[in-house]
Amino acid sequence: MKRTTRILTILMFVFLYIPMAVLIVASFNTGKDLTKFEGFTLGQYAALFRDPDLLRLLGNSLLIAILSTAFSVVFGTVAAVGVHNLKPKLRKAALSLTNIPMTNPDIVTGVSLSLLFIFVGGQLLRQRESLTFWTLLIAHITFSLPYVILNVMPKLHQMDNSLTDAAMDLGCTPIQSFFKVTLPEIMPGIAAGGIMAFTMSLDDFVISYFVTGMDFVTLPVEIYTYTKKPIHPKIYAMFTLLFLLIFVLMVTMNLLQLRSDKKKKETRVKAVKPAVRVLRRVCAVVLILCIVGGCCFLLLQPKGDTITLNVYNWGMNIADGTDGTLDIIAAFEEKYPNIRVQYATYESNEVMYSKLKNGGITVDVIIPSDYMIARMIDEDMLLELNFDNIPNFRHIDEEFRNNDFDPENKYSVPYTWGTVGILYNTKYVDQADVTGWELLWNEKYADKILMIDNSRDAFGIAQYLLGYDVNTTDKAELQACADKLAEQKPVLQQYVMDQIYSIMQNEEAWIAPYYAGDSMLMMEENEDLAFYLPVDQGFNLFIDAMCIPTCCREKEAAELFIDFLCDPEISGANMDYICYASPISEAREYMEEYLAESEVIYPSSEILAAGTNYQFLPGETSRYVENLFMGVRGSVSEGSDNFGLILTLVIVAVVVVPPVLRVGKKLRKRAKKKSA
Amino acid sequence: MKKNNSLLLSTPYIIWMLLFTLIPLGVVAFYAFTDPATGEFTLENMNALSAYLPVLWESIYYALISALICLLLGYPVAYYIAHRTPAVQKFLHMLVMLPMCMSFLLRTLAWVGLLQDTGLINRFLDWIGIGALPLIRTPGAVILGMVYNYLPYMILPLYSTIVKIDGRLIEAAEDLGCNGVQTFGRVVLPLSTPGIFTGITMVFVPAVSTFYISQKLGGTDTVLIGDVIERLFKQGQNQNLGAALSLVLMALVFVCTDIMNRFGGSSDEEGGVIV
Amino acid sequence: MSKELIRLQDLVMEFDGERILDGINLYIKDHEFLTLLGPSGCGKTTTLRIIGGFLSATSGSVLFDGKSIGDVPPYKRQVNTVFQRYALFPHLDVFDNIAFGLKVAKLPKAEITERVQEMLAIVGLRGYENRRIDSLSGGQQQRVAIARALVNRPKVLLLDEPLAALDLRLRKDMQNELKRIQQTLGITFVYVTHDQEEALSMSDTVVVMDKGRIQQIGKPEDIYNEPKNAFVADFIGESNILDGIMLADYKVKFFGRTFKCLDAGFEANEPVDVVIRPEDIDFVPVEEGHLTGTVTSVTFKGLNYDIIVDFKGFKWLIQTTDFQPVGATVGIRLNPEDIHIMKKSEYSGMFGDYSSYSAEYDELVEDAGDEEE
Repeated sequence: MKRTTRILTILMFVFLYIPMAVLIVASFNTGKDLTKFEGFTLGQYAALFRDPDLLRLLGNSLLIAILSTAFSVVFGTVAAVGVHNLKPKLRKAALSLTNIPMTNPDIVTGVSLSLLFIFVGGQLLRQRESLTFWTLLIAHITFSLPYVILNVMPKLHQMDNSLTDAAMDLGCTPIQSFFKVTLPEIMPGIAAGGIMAFTMSLDDFVISYFVTGMDFVTLPVEIYTYTKKPIHPKIYAMFTLLFLLIFVLMVTMNLLQLRSDKKKKETRVKAVKPAVRVLRRVCAVVLILCIVGGCCFLLLQPKGDTITLNVYNWGMNIADGTDGTLDIIAAFEEKYPNIRVQYATYESNEVMYSKLKNGGITVDVIIPSDYMIARMIDEDMLLELNFDNIPNFRHIDEEFRNNDFDPENKYSVPYTWGTVGILYNTKYVDQADVTGWELLWNEKYADKILMIDNSRDAFGIAQYLLGYDVNTTDKAELQACADKLAEQKPVLQQYVMDQIYSIMQNEEAWIAPYYAGDSMLMMEENEDLAFYLPVDQGFNLFIDAMCIPTCCREKEAAELFIDFLCDPEISGANMDYICYASPISEAREYMEEYLAESEVIYPSSEILAAGTNYQFLPGETSRYVENLFMGVRGSVSEGSDNFGLILTLVIVAVVVVPPVLRVGKKLRKRAKKKSA
Repeated sequence: MKKNNSLLLSTPYIIWMLLFTLIPLGVVAFYAFTDPATGEFTLENMNALSAYLPVLWESIYYALISALICLLLGYPVAYYIAHRTPAVQKFLHMLVMLPMCMSFLLRTLAWVGLLQDTGLINRFLDWIGIGALPLIRTPGAVILGMVYNYLPYMILPLYSTIVKIDGRLIEAAEDLGCNGVQTFGRVVLPLSTPGIFTGITMVFVPAVSTFYISQKLGGTDTVLIGDVIERLFKQGQNQNLGAALSLVLMALVFVCTDIMNRFGGSSDEEGGVIV
Repeated sequence: MSKELIRLQDLVMEFDGERILDGINLYIKDHEFLTLLGPSGCGKTTTLRIIGGFLSATSGSVLFDGKSIGDVPPYKRQVNTVFQRYALFPHLDVFDNIAFGLKVAKLPKAEITERVQEMLAIVGLRGYENRRIDSLSGGQQQRVAIARALVNRPKVLLLDEPLAALDLRLRKDMQNELKRIQQTLGITFVYVTHDQEEALSMSDTVVVMDKGRIQQIGKPEDIYNEPKNAFVADFIGESNILDGIMLADYKVKFFGRTFKCLDAGFEANEPVDVVIRPEDIDFVPVEEGHLTGTVTSVTFKGLNYDIIVDFKGFKWLIQTTDFQPVGATVGIRLNPEDIHIMKKSEYSGMFGDYSSYSAEYDELVEDAGDEEE
């Protein structure tokens, strides 16, 4: 029996640590793929320290963790002392309040806080930007506080009450006695609570994900969006360093404690003093760090003459200086030194739309697709542009002006255009099967097919396949499309957006519908990939255009940015990276030749003629489509009418009945006591 | 004097927690019962939830299975750790804690690298001649992800209850004629039930609400309630429906913890302290 | 001989509607060793805590040197306390514990060191400066607690059952030690205990308390010899308490017989409680005795035998070195100085009957082990 538990324990530790080992090994890998070790290098570590964005994100995470820990340690300790001395009934109430964030699932806490901030900030205070650094800090403090309270309370409980009396007896004021006697006694609890709060805050993803705004993003939230794209090994390098740091920290703490335990057994006290001193020094250092961190943050905040421009763009949709391309944002900032660009990405029109619609954030420039622009115009979410500030608009080709989605061309300036087709791996897919959209339903390739994870494109594919109009509002047709999509589910591997990169490149999947530009990028990485447009059935021809949403704060700077991107030379350089077609024909001259000549990027006009645009759908229809798509994805069945009422009653019963029962029990007990 | 002080010290905290835990839940309820477009009271969102019942059952099912597996795997480990010397206990305790401090996103991603069809395990299987197996995007992979991520949440409370069991009780049981198995079944196991229930709650709650694990390790048919909420908030354009679903999730967790507390018989005072 | 230092006037303490102190009036003289004696829950610790400033009375006042100190917080009072379980600061060593009050008062370092060393010498803990508190024995901790309080040179030292946690032998040593320290330093000691022996052997004045009221104040001898009521008589040592009738001055009737006694000042035929201490009774041959009874139980106690004798159904405890076997018929004589007369009180009839001897004895032992809250 003993041997089995030992073996099981060892196996469990192996199980717990294998993934970490994989990540650590990957940090020394020359290649990008987690699963293929191509050679040893320390280059990833060098790359990590040369990446200002990553370091900034790490800094953000540390800042939030330090500030929230410092605040919750101080506030929580004070509160714990207060709660400890409360009358039992009040204390119980305070403790159950403390338990709410501990027992509630993170996702509910995150959702509830974000709704609160949006509701209070947006609807009550009419603040445009209600999700900021400060709301994130509040959220972190809220979930950190219980850790401090729950660690300090038992220590207070254990402490001999007469110690504080003794201190006062010896001349301490109550405040002095707290610092001289109570604090040293409960210090282990405070330290444990603080450490837990710190690690929880540093690693928190779920709550931050819901509460975070545009201007301040922490590392885990960014990693979440990274993991959809091919993740760069320098992240593994950072993970390894953090792992080592925490490991060393924990081991030293353990050793210190062990040593002081041993010393305790010896009679002389002197030897323990260094440990206490170390603890004190650590506390002091942490405190100083907090203060320095706070000051840095305040200093880093944009000064009066610097403007922060929030740009919200598709993932991998602007040249960033990698692989010898031009770093467009850096170039822009160089040209306009008083503008600082804050850049964030989304992976589908719908994600971007939700984020803006939910409110609570400031965004100055967005780059949605055609149908989404129409929808946003319809819902008054876009501002009219001042074309005086965008002289480079003259370079935009005539055919890309006054598009259907913006007939008078008041709201948008085209950024790129492209097609949606099928990307497939020639190594595994029989060319004979590549006949049209039905390839995505081909059982021969079951579990190797990906599907695009946004309702409009997914329904569009079904509509081309079934021969319907892609801009239909007919519910029967849409339902038929949904059925068609549901039919596809058994052969699908998964629904993806940006994750497609890693999956297609490492041949985890073989067939996927995607955008031409991104496909081109993947084809550069894996030579076996090919791109196919089902000309006979039709395909989507899209335009992404730059717009300024109503939540914009720096309209003029936003227009400068748009103008900058319309410079043919810049546009050309940009297309080199993102591999889409520019609406500026002059830009083609500045592009790499193989791209400018590529059929994938610039299909011939006969082929283009077969493409159709997505147009504006009324809000009701898009919601209907979205719900249908949710149903397809999530094995969701029909809603029913009385269900809501019953459910509400059940919830009320669940939340209200147990406390009432408890109170009732108490009353009965009291009555019994009285009668006895 | 003392009483006034304690009120003075605790009131700001109580106000803070009311503002940022209880009131937000009220806001969730408010959104759950209002129409997204008009902002009027409606039961529409709640009605629509019946469509998500299968998802809800599935989430509960996965979370329960994971909690039970965690219990089966975690108990021997906790038992083993609890019976080492104090120094070893501390070290092993730290080793269990350590993964919890590291990014769970990246650790889950590492599992993707291990499990995927072209991943490390399958390549190894291929190499020894068994051939690739379908590992990722199966319900098993999701459960594995949950077990992996939340196993420490099971081990730690189990360990702290087992380590508190008085060694003399075991000797007493042996003295009274129990063999090893009987001692375990009649003394150790009953005494560690509070830890078992705490552990199950602590695994169940995050597992039932996760969205990342199922997104990364699940296939097209493993959609959990957390996924749906995330989609509704982040891309579904329907916060109100999301709020309604969150409300249901909250009620579910509320019921679970209540039941667990009742069976676990843990004191109301100190709830689920991890360390 | 010396002036009054502390006066408690009409102290009443109520907590949650329960009356803990019910009109305490007491004055404490300078240089005095005063003991508050009583069973658990009698209010002695509460009284001490009010003097120390940790509690404020519901009504009544505390005068220190003639000035009311009811609103003065503990850290401004010229009293120091030795706590029940010492309340030594576990995070500080012996030296720092003793120096605590001086450091708070911001005395110069040299003076602190000097005074701490001096105190260490007084309590006999030289060379223990750097020891950890948890490495000390109970008696040593006790000395540190006393040193920590005394080093501040308080006018009054409050001691809350300081010896309760020590074993018997150590307790005896510490009693002498405390008395010695008190006499050397000439500081007023207010001492709380439930141990009557401790109270009698150490104190100048003993205050017997029960149910929040003072039952008797007096010198140890007076308390023992002239208990005011059945409670005091029973609590201070063992007593046989009988119902009697005071026929006239110096004449009391009980058990149907009239005895001579030394008490006077009662009304004629007033019912009274008669106290006879077990050690005052001597066996005499049956024919010479005032009373005749049968021995029902004998317990060897080392110094003496505890013998229970049944007199017409009423059982007495007799402590004597004179062995008598169970079943023997014995006679006793009662001399006038052995008989103490007390007025009837609420306690009459509650104590002094040894019919359930063994059970009561157990209870007493239990009581002694109990520490007051």
